[in-house]
Amino acid sequence: MRLETRKLLDRAFSGTGVIAIGVMALALVVILAPIIGKGTGAFVFRSTIEHRKVMFDQWGRGTPERVEADKAPAAAARQPVYDMLAAFAAELDEMPRADRRPYKTPVRDLEKALEELFGPAPGQRTPVLIRQQYGATRWDRTKIKLGELLFTEQWDYSNPDALGVLVKTPRSEQFKETSLEPLFDYVDENIEAIMRPRLTFYWQFLFDTSKDSHIFGGIGPEVLGTLYLTLGAMIFAIPMGVIAAIYLCEYAREGRVVSFLRICISTLAGVPSIVFGLFGLAFFLNTIHISDSKSVLAGSLTLSLLILPTVIRASEEAILAVPKAYKEAALSLGAGRWHTVLTVILPAALPGILTGVVISMGRAAGETAPIIFTAAVSVGRPLLPMQTLSQPTPALPWNIYNLCTEHEAVDEIRHVQYGMVFTLVALVLLLNVFAIVMRARISKKLRG
Amino acid sequence: MLENSSTIQKRSLVMSKSTSRWRQLWAALGQGFLFSVTSLSTLTVFFIFYFIAKDAFPFFKLEGFKEFFTSTHWYPSGHPAEFGAMSIFFGTGLVTLGAVVVAVPLGVAAAVCLSDVLPFNVRQIVKPVIEILAAIPSVAYGFFALVVFAPLLQNNGGAVLSIGAWLILAPILALLVVVLSDLIADRCPDAARKVVRWGCGLALGAAALTGMILLGNHLRGIEIISGANALNVSIILGIMALPTVVSVSEDALQACGRELREGSYALGATRAETIVKTVLPASVSGILAAVILGVMRAIGETMVVWMASGNAARIPEPWFNMLQPVRTLTATIAGDMGEADHVTGSARFHVLFAMAFCLLTFSFVMNLASEAIVRRSRKKLGK
Amino acid sequence: MNAEIKMKQATRFAGQKENVLSRRAHVKAEDFSVFYGNFEAVKQVRCEFAEGLVTSMIGPSGCGKSTLLRAINRMNDLIPSCRAGGTMTFDGEDIYRKDIDVVSLRMRVGMVFQKPNVFPKSIYDNIAYGPRLQGISNRNQLDGIVESSLKQAAIWDEVKDRLNTNALGMSGGQQQRLCLARALAVKPEILLMDEPTSALDPKATAKIEDLIGQLRGQYTIIIVTHNMQQAARVSDLTAFMYEGTLVEFGETRQIFTRPQQKQTEDYITGRFG
Ligand SMILES: Nc1ncnc2c1ncn2[C@@H]1O[C@H](COP(=O)(O)OP(=O)(O)OP(=O)(O)O)[C@@H](O)[C@H]1O
Ligand SMILES: [Mg+2]
Repeated sequence: MRLETRKLLDRAFSGTGVIAIGVMALALVVILAPIIGKGTGAFVFRSTIEHRKVMFDQWGRGTPERVEADKAPAAAARQPVYDMLAAFAAELDEMPRADRRPYKTPVRDLEKALEELFGPAPGQRTPVLIRQQYGATRWDRTKIKLGELLFTEQWDYSNPDALGVLVKTPRSEQFKETSLEPLFDYVDENIEAIMRPRLTFYWQFLFDTSKDSHIFGGIGPEVLGTLYLTLGAMIFAIPMGVIAAIYLCEYAREGRVVSFLRICISTLAGVPSIVFGLFGLAFFLNTIHISDSKSVLAGSLTLSLLILPTVIRASEEAILAVPKAYKEAALSLGAGRWHTVLTVILPAALPGILTGVVISMGRAAGETAPIIFTAAVSVGRPLLPMQTLSQPTPALPWNIYNLCTEHEAVDEIRHVQYGMVFTLVALVLLLNVFAIVMRARISKKLRG
Repeated sequence: MLENSSTIQKRSLVMSKSTSRWRQLWAALGQGFLFSVTSLSTLTVFFIFYFIAKDAFPFFKLEGFKEFFTSTHWYPSGHPAEFGAMSIFFGTGLVTLGAVVVAVPLGVAAAVCLSDVLPFNVRQIVKPVIEILAAIPSVAYGFFALVVFAPLLQNNGGAVLSIGAWLILAPILALLVVVLSDLIADRCPDAARKVVRWGCGLALGAAALTGMILLGNHLRGIEIISGANALNVSIILGIMALPTVVSVSEDALQACGRELREGSYALGATRAETIVKTVLPASVSGILAAVILGVMRAIGETMVVWMASGNAARIPEPWFNMLQPVRTLTATIAGDMGEADHVTGSARFHVLFAMAFCLLTFSFVMNLASEAIVRRSRKKLGK
Repeated sequence: MNAEIKMKQATRFAGQKENVLSRRAHVKAEDFSVFYGNFEAVKQVRCEFAEGLVTSMIGPSGCGKSTLLRAINRMNDLIPSCRAGGTMTFDGEDIYRKDIDVVSLRMRVGMVFQKPNVFPKSIYDNIAYGPRLQGISNRNQLDGIVESSLKQAAIWDEVKDRLNTNALGMSGGQQQRLCLARALAVKPEILLMDEPTSALDPKATAKIEDLIGQLRGQYTIIIVTHNMQQAARVSDLTAFMYEGTLVEFGETRQIFTRPQQKQTEDYITGRFG
């Protein structure tokens, strides 16, 4: 082969590697970008007057005077709409029966669309469901609802060879030459005055309990549940893992038993997480009846088994990284083995152990499969510490799954789903960044 | 003379019998405690095996083995219930295979790049990227697959496919054209060589280009019925398995040592030739172990497949059609337990444990295999 | 050879003319061997380390000096494959007997290592580590021990204002003297030093050597060194080892001026090693 070709191949080869790494970085960006971009939208967004109403009615946030001052102009801007509806009702009454008929369904549809945008009309009986008591609370939802008010959507299946096509027609066409015709232009032009959007930082999203299955409010119980589960898992996994690592590094003599134990550890590390979940169900709940139903305790125990191999390995690595000289120094001063471990080796290995612990904490926080059968429920109140022994809890990972697959209004609460994913990912990444920084500092210390 | 030792009462070197016995007792107790905690935490794996098996065997006793492993009819709620898990095994295999196809070439290329191409400080930046990729919770990947990626595939499936094909194939084909024309030219007499090289290059290039355009157009015409399908899941699982593959194979590549590489460079080999001809063969077992670990990661993953695989328990037609929904073992366990839970004790409950038992056995065997491979390669390298 | 060992002590230290014969043997090896697995790293060594004197061990790399030295406070126990044969007595007790308390042995036989190995703790805690092990927790008493040990190691003036800072922040030479002070704080009778100055610059080396001179008489000191001048400067007695055997053992000046064995002469004159 020509030298040039060989060089070209060589460059292509290096290029492939760089591209592979580029793809990896790109994948990271592509996955994180929507999560971060839309996830922050759960916290910072343009809220409408309806959001402020929810906050005031349900959580008592804001003063009555200010909310009234906020409401009054919106109500005033909405009044012409209701006036037009009233005028049209009067118009209908004067029509002959036959002319009246075709308007029946369109009017009902229109009223429903209006209700979704504005909330119930003044004077109407308060609906039972909280979600029906308010209109669109977010500006982005408002625009979608406005679209639904202005246009009707129909699927056109006339071409049998292709998939159906969505056709939009202006709703105003249904009300040509009636007193409702100007309504659509009016709403379209005055939507800002009607909904009064305002940039809001809803930080309470992190702490609020949700109302009406996540249509309103925040993710407080989920965050709390995840914290409980994670901390619980660490309470069991850290002592067990560190003790096992100490035994394997400092006490055990390399031999059959130890290599057997090591194989067990690596097998444990390879067990699929869903199998941990089944084991938790079969053992903790169905065999030893650690609690009557699913509980945070059972979930924590299951998670702790899952992260145990990680904790053991990280601690082993950290202990082995402690210079042998420390151990020799301690022993030469007359310290016993146990004392050496406690006073010299563990303190020196602590940062390394902590790094591993923090990383496995991130893992425990994000795992879903093990808690499905052992700890997680989709709706629940925040638990008191004592209740964790016997009660299940909502948790971020499970609720992410639940809200985006099984919720009855999946599209309505995209922002909540994104907010949850964002919170979970931020939590895990913060833990990992903390660990990465800490490890960099340790290696610097060991090198210099 | 020896003031120091004479003023202080000397410690006796010899322990009294009772002290020595106490010491021994304490040491034995302490060590026993450490040992029991260690074995408790490691032998958990046997607990897991036992309790999964305990609930799995009633299923085989009730329904036998044949239907489970050979039939594709999966109607656990039907009357009579049917428990043919063939298609579910197949779905698991298909998405795992897809994930391997995504993760292994990318992962090995990235590992080579990390160990042999990039300078140290760039590596320090890339490593955290891999770690973060590994740290993102699986449910977040699943969310991405379901909420972002699936609609994208569903709405612009053809375009996505053809762009993907172009991105992957175009550089490979270009390279192939250059090398082929070069090889052909090498066989010609000196005078004609240049002409032949250009001629061949142009001809082959034109052929490749038309092929690409045809393929691209064909792909663009494809409509994807549902974005939640095997392709979607395979790509996401591949990305999830990447960090494992990269870090394990990088370790394997680094374990080969500098001498091997320097020997090859000294003979005038380029970097690519050195790596392909000497480094990769020497570290092939380590890379194999990396692939196995990647496979385990993909097979054991639950949330992504549950959320974005479509969960249809049938074998796609034709079997390699990645654009159809599939169902995997993990997703079945996760999804069906909710309904089976009320009828604890029935075959419907136990069949899920039977599936878990299969998963567990598989991962155990894979794990032993990778351990054995790593150990053997270590011996070979003399470490 | 025994006759040679019990020779007259050199008169290097003014006013200390004395008879080595009168010295009691503090540590005594009789047909003492150390094995790593099947490899005999120290072969049937027979020698006596006299109380209160400085003995240096020299020999080419890998000849078993460290192994013999570490056998004296049983540091070799840490190595799983390592086992000892023959007898090694300390104060008349065979230290490899079963009922020997290794912890007390190590408290009485202090050790300073090749590389300074201070704990990543404060200077104060480093020194107080040993005394605390012995159950001393009274702050005043500890303060006293810390001060006197640091003074003994001639480092008190340099560190007295920063006793609570991390010991890793000190220079190598300071760290090594701190290690010495730490060993002294346990109030041992014997000090083992394995190439204590090989990681230090000449100035720090000189300080350590001075210290050895000052400690001579109070402690039995055994020092391994590759530095011939150092052995000649600091020690009363010198042992030359070669491939696990003790080739020659005698008064330092005699070893360096009139070696009895050909191997010793070759080594000292630099013909090998
Ligand atoms: N842990 C061990 N396992 C097996 N063999 C060992 C071990 N430590 C030392 N040895 C062997 O024992 C012999 C003596 O080693 P030792 O460390 O005592 O030599 P040394 O005289 O101190 O050398 P140096 O001057 O280089 O420190 C050497 O041949 C060495 O290879
Ligand atoms: Mg040595």
